[in-house]
Amino acid sequence: MIEEPELFEREEGKIRMKVIGLGGAGSNMVDRLMLSNPPEVHLSVLNTDHQALANSPVLDKHCIGKSITGGLGAGGEPDVGREAALADRALLEELCNDVDLLFISAGLGGGTGTGVAPVLADIAAKSGALVISFVTLPFTVERARRSKIAQDGLEQLRDVCNAVIPLPNDLLIQESEPGASLLDAFSQADAWVEKAIKSIWAMMHKTGLINLDFSQLRQAFSKRAGKTLFGLGEGEGEDAINRVLESLKLCPLLHTPEFSKKAEHLLVNIVGGPALGISDVQRIMDNITDEFGKDANVIMGSVVDDCLKDRVEICVIGTSDLRAGSPFISRRSSIPKKVKTEVPSSKGSVEDRVEKIKKKTHVRSRKTCQDEFAFNHSEPKGEFENSVGTIFEGQDLDTPTYFRRGVKIPL
Amino acid sequence: MHKSKVIAGVEIGTNKVAVLLGEIQEGKSLNVIGFGHCSSRGVLKGEIIDFYEASDCAHAAILAAENQAKVKIDGVYLALSGGHIRGRSSEASVNITSTDGRVTREDIEHVSAMAKERDLPENCAVIHHLRRPYALDGRMVEQPIAMEGERLEANYWTVYGDDRIISDAIHIINGFNLHVDDVVLSGLASSVAVATLEEKKNGVLVIDIGRGSTDYAVFMNGRCMSAGCIPIGGDHISNDLSIGLRIRLKQADSLKHRYGSAIVEHKDKTEKVWLNNDLEIGDRLVPLWSIEKIVELRVRELFNVVRKKLGALARPERLPAGVVLCGGTSHLRNIEICTADVFETRARIGDNGAMASEELRDSQYSVALGLLHYGLRYQNEHDHVTQRNRGFMGKLKGMFQKV
Repeated sequence: MIEEPELFEREEGKIRMKVIGLGGAGSNMVDRLMLSNPPEVHLSVLNTDHQALANSPVLDKHCIGKSITGGLGAGGEPDVGREAALADRALLEELCNDVDLLFISAGLGGGTGTGVAPVLADIAAKSGALVISFVTLPFTVERARRSKIAQDGLEQLRDVCNAVIPLPNDLLIQESEPGASLLDAFSQADAWVEKAIKSIWAMMHKTGLINLDFSQLRQAFSKRAGKTLFGLGEGEGEDAINRVLESLKLCPLLHTPEFSKKAEHLLVNIVGGPALGISDVQRIMDNITDEFGKDANVIMGSVVDDCLKDRVEICVIGTSDLRAGSPFISRRSSIPKKVKTEVPSSKGSVEDRVEKIKKKTHVRSRKTCQDEFAFNHSEPKGEFENSVGTIFEGQDLDTPTYFRRGVKIPL
Repeated sequence: MHKSKVIAGVEIGTNKVAVLLGEIQEGKSLNVIGFGHCSSRGVLKGEIIDFYEASDCAHAAILAAENQAKVKIDGVYLALSGGHIRGRSSEASVNITSTDGRVTREDIEHVSAMAKERDLPENCAVIHHLRRPYALDGRMVEQPIAMEGERLEANYWTVYGDDRIISDAIHIINGFNLHVDDVVLSGLASSVAVATLEEKKNGVLVIDIGRGSTDYAVFMNGRCMSAGCIPIGGDHISNDLSIGLRIRLKQADSLKHRYGSAIVEHKDKTEKVWLNNDLEIGDRLVPLWSIEKIVELRVRELFNVVRKKLGALARPERLPAGVVLCGGTSHLRNIEICTADVFETRARIGDNGAMASEELRDSQYSVALGLLHYGLRYQNEHDHVTQRNRGFMGKLKGMFQKV
């Protein structure tokens, strides 16, 4: 939370950011980034399939491992992908040369993405770049083999990347509208990756209330990645701060077993319109650290973007070192309860307490009170969000019972 | 044909609108002559949240019933439910002043009127005054007339609700150019159909768990001692699953029907079931334990709330006939085991077998059937010149109806 303008000397040389898409799925993500390409971000795609590569609109594209696959793809064999990558090691080294921050996007479970990603990440890390990978995981219905390949790939990748953000396909399709096609679901994944990359880009290249620089970013990801926490939230309108926190909390990526619920190193970036004040930032930070790791080493950035008007976006990325036997995992479900049990018992009759809570729920449903931002305290009501609460003995019965009791539900 | 009257029992529920038509002949016998139903829209937690949508559904159901029976409806009995409904007990007592020290009809009328007089909170209207047994010098008596004593106490369980919400429901029926003869608490209506007189004599608790709300009524010595409504129902189970498992409401609904259980049967947390079970893209495995745990916690809590609301009335020794469950959510697997566990007495799933043909046996028509039964008794009382004690029929009557 300290502004350090003098560290921005690097500005001259600029931070070199690069996104490399691997294989079919990875290339698609990069293709999408093309459409809204933030300046200063270099895009490349790599594939073992020459034909698929030809369809990509990205200018910097390379077919690797021709000597091994003949340009016909890896055939779903990660070993083939890996060999292809090793065969063209020189090309990969060249791609990673002079890159400060490398994003790798790939679909795990296939040949190219799964095989090439760890090799590329390793090369990039050795050349001194900070490596963050976004990988999609196959659908459960694609069955055991693909899933096994993907899990193995994920573990390898975790060993060599600074952060790995897995996006389970099951979740993606579920988050999209019921009638949506598979393509829509994938574009949702691409949109998530795009947001994350843009958010980090904005952090590095735009100035704002609290500036972040590359060395801080590097510090946040200094350890090799274990489980990574990754969440996005957005909100707009008068009550943008509450909404953005709510939306972040509901971000589906925070609720899968693939993700850590607490992190040792937390990187938070807040992008808001001109109306975003330092007190808002403070409030968001308090909530986020409460939620994701009180003892975390938190690095935050806050950027003002005039185009956003009353909109606020948050991106949270956190890492923990798994091998250290992190005590931070999965404590989320013990958080709920709160407000209810904490109501002061010393003064005031039962009626007072009920009244108080009634007031609270009432206020929250109207979304008017600024003090009631309640991140931990807000309770999901789903379908009954807008209905008058059913208060019994100081609890709103519309909130799921398991949630009020703090019962942990395995997914 | 003369002296026959067609009445309709209408329940505008969260899941469906159910309508039954009954023909009352000579004010004595009741024949069910038509039924209609329509899935509901615009109703949440038992209350109308979208007047026009709810109205359309109700009209469709009434029309279907009318067309089937090819008759015109003379009057409607309307079921009420929802979180706005409250209950409290109202007591009053008088000294017996007659020279021979015996209770006269005037004493009873006087004490009853006094008990019913108590003010209600603002914007509230009485739905029922349910009379509990009289007490004469502290002794419980069913009918104190001509008995000797010094002090007569009357005790009513008064059920009241938000008059605006009640009028909304009545307006829906009026909007179809029909007259609402009376409004009846859903839980009372369904208890008429699913619990036997014998059970009510012994002591029984009827719980009607619908999609949006749960109605309950407890009986002792054949009289309703307390009745109420909790705006929690099957929708809440689905909603809990949807939030807990991060799935869509529709998927949650389907999981509830396929795997929902009111007690955790599968203790192995690693056992999993397919979410959509269509083996299509997007399908995934969900731990069975999680589903059952979420459902059990909700159902158990619901029963505990009912038990707490009833207080001493729900003690197992007061309910020798146990608990009778009805309503859509009573189809949930193992729900009777969970009920028996919470109330420490036996529990069964009720149906309308005792008073309806095979077709109307399922408890989804319990409320409508109970309403017709109410209508019959109401009719009887009007036909009798000597209007004796009207029991729990004495109530608002026409209070909200359009002039």
